[in-house]
Amino acid sequence: MRGFEFLRPGTLNEASALLATGDAAARPFAGGTGLMLMMKTGVFSPSRLVCLRQTEAEHRAITPTGDGGARIGALASLSQIEHDPLLCRLAPVIARTMTTLANVRVRNVARIGGTLAHGDPHMDMPPTLAALRASVVTSGTASRTVPVEALYAGYYETILQPGELISAVLLPDQTGWHSVYLKCTTRSADDWPALGVAVSVRMDGTTITDSRVIISAATEKLTRVAAAEAVLNGATAGLAAFTAAGEAARAVETIEDARGSAAYKTELVGVYVRRALQQATGAGGN
Amino acid sequence: MNEIRSISAKQVGRDVPRLESRQKVTGRAEYTHNITLPGMLYAKLCRSTVAHGRILSIDVSAARDLPGVHAVYTGETIRTLIAEPYFGPAFHDQPILAIGKVHFVGEPIAVVLAADPYVAAEAAQMIVAEYEELPAVFDEVEAMTSAAIVHETLKPAGTFADLKHLSGKSNTNVALDYQLRRGDTDAAFAAAEHVFEHEFHTQQVMHTPLEPMVSIAEPGDNCLTIYTASQSPSFVCTEIARLFGWRENQVRVKVPYLGGGFGAKLYIKLEALVAAAAMLARRPVKLSLTMEEQFYTITKHASTFRIKSAVNKDGRITARRCEIFWNGGAFADIGPRVTQKSGFTSPGPYDIDNVSVDSYALYTNRPPAGALRGFGIPQLVWAYESHTDLLARGIGMDAVEFRRRNLLREGRPQATGTLMHDAAIIEVLDKTAELMNWTAPFERGEGVIRRGRAIAIGFKAVVAPTTSGAIVNLSADGSAALYMSTVDMGQGSDTAMAQIVAETLGLVAERVKVVHPDTDVTPYDMATLGSRSTFHMGNAVKLASLHALEQLGAMAREVGLPEGTNYEIRDIFLKKYGMQAGNIIGVGSYVPPYTSPQKGTGLSDNVTPFWMVGAAGVELSVDTETGHVTIDRLINVADVGRPLNPAIVATQLSGAAMMQLGFTLFENMDLDHGQVTNASLADYKIPGMHDLPTVMDNVIVDNNQQNGPYGAKGVGETATFGVSPAIANAIEDAVGVRLTSLPLTPESVLRGIRALRGEKLEG
Amino acid sequence: MTEVRCDIAFTLNGAPVALNIGGHENIVDVLKRLGLSGARESCGQGLCGCCTVIIDGVAESGCLTLAQLVDGRSVQTIEGLDADGALSPVQQAFIDAGALQCGFCAPGFVLMSHQLLAANPDPSEAEIRDYLSGNLCRCATYPEIIKAVRLAASRMRAAQAA
Repeated sequence: MRGFEFLRPGTLNEASALLATGDAAARPFAGGTGLMLMMKTGVFSPSRLVCLRQTEAEHRAITPTGDGGARIGALASLSQIEHDPLLCRLAPVIARTMTTLANVRVRNVARIGGTLAHGDPHMDMPPTLAALRASVVTSGTASRTVPVEALYAGYYETILQPGELISAVLLPDQTGWHSVYLKCTTRSADDWPALGVAVSVRMDGTTITDSRVIISAATEKLTRVAAAEAVLNGATAGLAAFTAAGEAARAVETIEDARGSAAYKTELVGVYVRRALQQATGAGGN
Repeated sequence: MNEIRSISAKQVGRDVPRLESRQKVTGRAEYTHNITLPGMLYAKLCRSTVAHGRILSIDVSAARDLPGVHAVYTGETIRTLIAEPYFGPAFHDQPILAIGKVHFVGEPIAVVLAADPYVAAEAAQMIVAEYEELPAVFDEVEAMTSAAIVHETLKPAGTFADLKHLSGKSNTNVALDYQLRRGDTDAAFAAAEHVFEHEFHTQQVMHTPLEPMVSIAEPGDNCLTIYTASQSPSFVCTEIARLFGWRENQVRVKVPYLGGGFGAKLYIKLEALVAAAAMLARRPVKLSLTMEEQFYTITKHASTFRIKSAVNKDGRITARRCEIFWNGGAFADIGPRVTQKSGFTSPGPYDIDNVSVDSYALYTNRPPAGALRGFGIPQLVWAYESHTDLLARGIGMDAVEFRRRNLLREGRPQATGTLMHDAAIIEVLDKTAELMNWTAPFERGEGVIRRGRAIAIGFKAVVAPTTSGAIVNLSADGSAALYMSTVDMGQGSDTAMAQIVAETLGLVAERVKVVHPDTDVTPYDMATLGSRSTFHMGNAVKLASLHALEQLGAMAREVGLPEGTNYEIRDIFLKKYGMQAGNIIGVGSYVPPYTSPQKGTGLSDNVTPFWMVGAAGVELSVDTETGHVTIDRLINVADVGRPLNPAIVATQLSGAAMMQLGFTLFENMDLDHGQVTNASLADYKIPGMHDLPTVMDNVIVDNNQQNGPYGAKGVGETATFGVSPAIANAIEDAVGVRLTSLPLTPESVLRGIRALRGEKLEG
Repeated sequence: MTEVRCDIAFTLNGAPVALNIGGHENIVDVLKRLGLSGARESCGQGLCGCCTVIIDGVAESGCLTLAQLVDGRSVQTIEGLDADGALSPVQQAFIDAGALQCGFCAPGFVLMSHQLLAANPDPSEAEIRDYLSGNLCRCATYPEIIKAVRLAASRMRAAQAA
């Protein structure tokens, strides 16, 4: 735990510079909940922590975008997002997901940028935001915009380069879309999920015109299931289509851990994708 | 005797709020966790990374050279102070730090002392040990015949009266083989109408008290003061004195409130290490375990239970054979007592003429196992009540009716031959069935969600023979202080004992002071364990109070106050001393009668002073697509004698049931070649608020424990008994799936459902 | 490792404090040095809530909060609740409802209940469970804690109305 530098730059660009040193033991520090856990258990011993909290004034605002969406500053805390009136109206699924995400104290401290950049496949916000078609904007020398589902390269791995920091999350207009996140725990109710399923469906009458199906926790990394979306798009909302989408989603590669075998998680994927679609649309029974 | 009561309100049976409530809600209650002494060093441990191996070398040089490190000790250093540095309540098998070999992953091999705990932790990481790995054994049944031997020679401790029979053996992992033989089981099985045989398993779990284990030793001139989160200060005192070759009065053990115990903090845990380190360093030493380290220190026995029963055409059980294997891990701790004391109740609370029990305490290369809220009873009830439901099902009889036909009645001999008294077994069963409206139709659900319900009942004999002592000091102003070594770890013993003092002396319970365990001050008590305190210490406290009352009566007579006086206590003192002066010391000591079981047969006409009886009734829903189980209703019914404090008793019942719910549904130590892979609350999940059953009822049946203090007896473990089998039985009732291993995970339920359809999960 | 030390100054239960700390130390370490042991580290992972502290009015897990981050801020602990000698309505309700056993988790539950009732004076049982689900009680005093929060809420609302 001892012997790391703790630096407090005033801007994200300065922070990027302090991090792009080639030192793998230098890390950005926002809420710090994830990092502190890794440091306390000895999984990670930083040489340098670059605190981003001084940039809050600039990077924690949640503002409407001109096209009916919202821009969430990366330093916004999860609690702030949970209670933000704009987001509650635009995407009520976010606040619903928050009530079972970690706990109040973690949500008070953890920042959305860090949550997304941590790369832990068991987290609830990445699949929820991916299903909402959100993307992240990065700072640094090569600023870019990346869809949330494209952010992950593997288990605790992102495509972010050293010194590349998430500066904001962009949420598009949700008009016509219906979204649900279901978390499946197999031990205590408040365990990390064995499976997270986030779905968004756009409807025209009873016809599904577009969809997103995202799987997390049961897989090595957050996974968008194109095969399930293909089944849904153009189909009539109902049990048949949702069951077929669930069947298609079973093709994702699940991994075994203390929360269940790979085969069991595959079963859960089929059931939970179907149920999430039923809940999102109110169609096909419960 | 004079009637000198100034209070008529009943103190016993009243919902007195915990005496220490205010201190606890303001964060000011004293725990060992909080204590800091001047000049204190923090200890951090380096632990074995192999499950079984000879230590080739331990290089502590880098750790010793780290600035801020005061000292680094290994087992060899300890030996310069204590020639035979091995401890334990049943066997002297646990080295203060490993010597020669290691027995499990996580065994302490070296300790670092530093004024800054972060420095000590960093240095402990810098210690490098080399091992020659030895074959290891992890499974309790394999340990019976394994070539891997955890301890070459067994060294019985001979400390406790009930464990005097342990013998030293070589080349075996069997620490104790307990036998009970009654009637002729072979003949009964040969003549039986029906014979059923099953095998059940329980997993290794951990107590996880939220105040992790912590001890401090402060050296003096040929003496030591130990501040420790211990459930057994008297035993710590005895054992530390033995290790150092001292008189007991050279060791002072002080225990404030405990932030949870559940059996984790029993006997001797960290005390020997801090005592040795403090004597070597000549400074106070504190060792606070992390939550992770608790998993390497003490756990609950995993077990295998083979049970076979003969049933006649009337639905009577005529014979039962029990074979139980207890996975004790690397050190016996109190495993032999678990094996024996729970062993003799393994046939269950049933009236069976022909019984045979073999119960084995086994060493393996896992983290050690000891007592956890029930002393083995929950493992047994899990098996025999699952089995009982299967018997009823097998002969097509209602599960409650089948139990009613077979349960032990007042005055009937239990398996040991001891006659049952004051055990409200039938009453507990009937109350549970009544609360569940057992004879009425039950909504079984349809479609994906299927519902089921079931009952399970278990019993326990309190450990015997054990002793408690108490002192009541009556001051001249009429106030009283109680000196006792019972440890309040959340069960409310301070409050309950104050109520006994107040009831006996005619005082108000809230104004009785309870002096916490301090072996220089408070009398001997065997330990706070196994639901024994209310009965044993309660009787001692009552005797001490009566002793004080007797002296007060004598004093009243001496100063010429008439019989039946309503003078207050202070007036009697005033009359005797002419001023507010003097005091009366009442002493009480209690040890119940007991007959040692015969060797070989295990028979005894008085094996325990009282029985605890608990049942659970469960209604649940199963999601047949995922295997998820929702507990819709959990009913806990208990015979606790007459409750001293009904509100605290109800909270104890619901807390115990919830703890067992965790052990039933999800708690599990994952082991990979002896390495615990989920030693943290992030990965080892305990019940939280969302895990509460939708409805939970806690009900006390009306009973009087005649030899108990004001009719009371123990309660801390009772509500654990029935939970696991009641849930498993209800799952079978709902979906026809019989699970025989804990925990009852959704995956195991779903696999069972698929298996019934002839399908497998693998895609 | 060479330790990095720093000076911090903050408000603790309304009074200013200043001290030199290790850069790696968390706020529970520092509170302990200041003689306050109501916030206590148990799981060390922010899961059990025993180390709950209120920083600038917001509840945090003290074991995951680097002490240097409270520099210039306001920290409230359980010891600040009865500063005037009287128990808070939540503390009194915990006593009256018997909502504690070993008591090690009690300060965290009390503080979190305060936060809940400040934000939501009349929480449903489900809301209480959701809000307090990040606090663990190994004695499993959960039913009594829920009862205590409801009792405190009704008394506080009654006091407000009076």
